[in-house]
Amino acid sequence: MNHDLARYHRQMLLPGFGEHGQRQLLQSKVFVLGCGALGTVIANMLARAGVGHLVIADRDFIEVTNLQRQVLFDEDDVRDAIPKAEAARRKIARINSQVRVTALVDDVNHTNIEKFAADCNVIVDGVDNFETRFLANDVAVKLGIPYVYGGAVGTVGMTYAILPHTPRGDSPWERAGVATPCLRCIFEQAPPPGMNPTCETAGVLGPVVSIIANYQVNETLKILTGNWQAVSPTMLSVDTWHNTVRQLKVLRAYDVGQCTCCKQRKFEYLAGLLASATATLCGRNAVQLTQRASTCTHLDFDRLAERLRSHGKVTTNKFMLRADIQDNGQAYELTLFADGRAIVKGTKEPNTAKSIYAKYVGA
Amino acid sequence: MPGTVTVRIPTALRPQAGDQGSVAVAGASVKEALGSLTSQYPELGRRLFQSNGTDLNRFINVYVNDEDIRFLNNLDTPLNPGDELSIIPAIAGG
Repeated sequence: MNHDLARYHRQMLLPGFGEHGQRQLLQSKVFVLGCGALGTVIANMLARAGVGHLVIADRDFIEVTNLQRQVLFDEDDVRDAIPKAEAARRKIARINSQVRVTALVDDVNHTNIEKFAADCNVIVDGVDNFETRFLANDVAVKLGIPYVYGGAVGTVGMTYAILPHTPRGDSPWERAGVATPCLRCIFEQAPPPGMNPTCETAGVLGPVVSIIANYQVNETLKILTGNWQAVSPTMLSVDTWHNTVRQLKVLRAYDVGQCTCCKQRKFEYLAGLLASATATLCGRNAVQLTQRASTCTHLDFDRLAERLRSHGKVTTNKFMLRADIQDNGQAYELTLFADGRAIVKGTKEPNTAKSIYAKYVGA
Repeated sequence: MPGTVTVRIPTALRPQAGDQGSVAVAGASVKEALGSLTSQYPELGRRLFQSNGTDLNRFINVYVNDEDIRFLNNLDTPLNPGDELSIIPAIAGG
């Protein structure tokens, strides 16, 4: 056995793997989009499995409240204020030095995602908001790259592997007859801001994140080794606290639906048509965020206020909600208007404001 | 008298459904079952349906026995006694 493959011996014993499969992994490049709870588990397992090149993107820093579930980080990373993508790169270098890691400490958006994803074999989803997910879905469909969706909050999680339909229909997974509907075939619209609980407001159970992330890795390994028939054609939905596991049937969504993205090939998120916008407010140490993809006419202030009270003082009136938020030792004041527009005071950094919004309001 | 079906309520919407994980309702179609559910829990109705009160929000999917109703007969999908209706919202966290 070739020396550099020895560490993968137990994996190569598996059917559908072998030395050939291992070499395919070593030659692969995977885009890990987001390096929080899902992303750390995904990057950790892909690195151990011997995926040759991981591109890990995250705009955020590590907080002490992340350590309960974000398995690549430790107390030193919190103390040294290391960005997540960079901390992941350093940790993976100690786990498997054969793996090349590109750490992108950056906000992934419609202006840059195509460049990051262009020559990747799979995009694996570890993000915390639907706007970025639909953006990843757009790029995956446009470039014909498999995309593995995952989401988790509270005690529930969901995951699904997209093997996109392509205009020529000649991708390996289409030749194998196993293409699947895209994320927008299944969820036509992003939930409006404030609609869904977030990990910051509803909490999140470590195991549910690990289960979803590992399932994403499971599907990614099948994809990278060309085991197309083994890729699950259903969407997995679990609630690990209430003991429910469902395999939702989604294949007909492509055949019957009129998907904007994968059938009509209109990439609205990639074109920036549905992107949220940020503006640093001059002289105010504040950033304004505008939600263009919003479908909501009036946010439910009472419900949001209830969720945000555990983080600080919250006041509401007919027009706005204002909340004091302590995040990673910094104090922010979040002002939220009924149409989803927000002003985050306490930073001039658009990325920080977007992160606060995704974490505490949710989109 | 239509048969009884079970509606599975997602965790995020349980506060609007009396904190229950599932609710047994009568209904011979998805429309009847959801109508019966939301007449008991009007606040849940406002979360599930668009402001016109008749169309489901497009970020919420409803499955009958793990099949998406959009690809059956939508709200007119018939139900048999014992069927299971699941309300599945998109999960954003990660």
